[in-house]
Amino acid sequence: MTNWRLWVGLSLTAILIIIAIIGPAIAPYDEDYVMEVEYFYNGEDDYGIISNPAPPSAKHPFGTDKWGYDILTLLLHGAKYTIFISLLVAFMRVVVGGGLGILMGNLKNSKNNNLGFGFGLLGSIPQFLILYFVLFGITINSSLSVFELTFLQTVLMVLIGVPGVFSATKSKTIELKKNLFITASRALGAGPWWVTTKQIIPHLRGSLLSLFIKEIILTLTLMGQLGIFKLFLGGTILRLHGPAVYLSKTNEWTGLIGQWRSFIYSYEWILMYPLAAFVITIFSFYLLSRGIEIYQRDQLKRYPHI
Amino acid sequence: MYRNLVTFSILILTVFFLASLPLSIVVSGGSLHINWAVAFEHISMFFKGVLSGKTFTYVEGEDRIQSFFADIPSHFVTSFLYLLIASLIAISFSLVLSIWVSLTQKEWIKDIIGLLSVIPDFIMIIFLQIFVVYIYEEYGIALSRVATRSSTEPAILLPLMVMVLIPLIYLIRSLSERSFDIMTEDYILSAKSKGIKKLHIIIHHVIRNILPFLKADLHKVLAIMMSNLFIVEYLFNINGLSAFIFNSYSYQFNLTVNTLFSLTIVYMLLYFCLIIFIKFLERVFAND
Repeated sequence: MTNWRLWVGLSLTAILIIIAIIGPAIAPYDEDYVMEVEYFYNGEDDYGIISNPAPPSAKHPFGTDKWGYDILTLLLHGAKYTIFISLLVAFMRVVVGGGLGILMGNLKNSKNNNLGFGFGLLGSIPQFLILYFVLFGITINSSLSVFELTFLQTVLMVLIGVPGVFSATKSKTIELKKNLFITASRALGAGPWWVTTKQIIPHLRGSLLSLFIKEIILTLTLMGQLGIFKLFLGGTILRLHGPAVYLSKTNEWTGLIGQWRSFIYSYEWILMYPLAAFVITIFSFYLLSRGIEIYQRDQLKRYPHI
Repeated sequence: MYRNLVTFSILILTVFFLASLPLSIVVSGGSLHINWAVAFEHISMFFKGVLSGKTFTYVEGEDRIQSFFADIPSHFVTSFLYLLIASLIAISFSLVLSIWVSLTQKEWIKDIIGLLSVIPDFIMIIFLQIFVVYIYEEYGIALSRVATRSSTEPAILLPLMVMVLIPLIYLIRSLSERSFDIMTEDYILSAKSKGIKKLHIIIHHVIRNILPFLKADLHKVLAIMMSNLFIVEYLFNINGLSAFIFNSYSYQFNLTVNTLFSLTIVYMLLYFCLIIFIKFLERVFAND
């Protein structure tokens, strides 16, 4: 049986990356386009007003939101932030955390990992809560530019995820070091550098790859949780005249979900399309990780010789 | 003992540090400023206000001054009950389901459980809410409340579903691997060869040997549940402890510190309740 998960996952991911790159170019409208209220008259019984939010139609395939923004356009413009920032954060987490993990796993012999009750408690402070406290004062109506804020949020998301990757890689390295071939290599005079580059890293490559995909999903989750609390990637615009309105500066997908979260009772399409886009993103990365998992398992499988 | 003392002081420092972050990291004039002096001022105010009781008041709305101790019990109990009920259900179900999952060879079950484990909690909540609204609009049947509207009409079914499902999926994933390993052990084969029934082996030998792993995983489970609690309380508008952090009119240092300490107490209480529950399970399954 072919590994359909891997292929579907790979092609969906490729499509997402292409959308993220060419999104603004193929968007039907400009990012700041606002639909004007229109009258239509097609006959005696067929006339009326098209007002915002307008349901999906030929002109606006995903409809418009409360203020007349074309939802498809916003999604296409926001895609690059969602896709590339999550890829970047996951990549940096694996590089920094994985690198440190291999290093520390090599340097020290395994110590006991039982940290006790206090550390269990400390470890259960949710990641998004820590970032919430850091970003609370600087994300909403920030005078930082979108680039500066996105950069800052990216760095913070990398830092918050490094310990997890670090401890996973470190324990894997320590496990790996117990193997006979490493002992043999040592006995033949290999130094730590040789063992790391020629044996540990090649063996960890597979697990680092699946760790990378999992970290992408975790980053997307983290971005989404912050978005639920109105801390959007790239900055939040807060309008206080009348009921408070929170808007995402970058139209990043989780930001759109956060800003349109209340549309579950009416005008459902406003929330449904960004939600669908986000879920498809998670789903494609999930299929990819399952595909890689099955691929690696098949590689290690032993086959009969006759 | 000494080590516990150290970790608890680290914990207290962490709480003050977290609560002072929004005050110390600010943006003005297009650049980022980190000013710890404001934070120290607030921390000293916190300790000065302990005796006069000013530390334990907070501002509700624009200018109403409320006592923290008068309002905390109901919020505390709400959060704690949601957590306790959800964790008890999740742990009980996980024992049965993890064995069932480890016995099935079907790849699609693993697919679904894996997919559920990567779906973020807030997505799950929004989908459930949309589903309930859709059923109501199409068929006129209100399956459950979509959110808490007032203290007399709390949303219970959907929040509990999410709070059970998230740790349950995690537990199934970790425990099914363990129970698979256990079922390949020699003592299981030996029991089978003696003609002991399958159900008996599962109850008296497999579940019994999963329990230590469950105990070891407890902190991780609680971490998942605490993170989940904030999202659930926020999206279902539940008046739990996190409401003090997210729904306040403007940022209040003392209130945040008090709430974080209360959450710590919730965690500890929950941990000991679950340890007792596991002890009880050990009595049931490992009674010799």
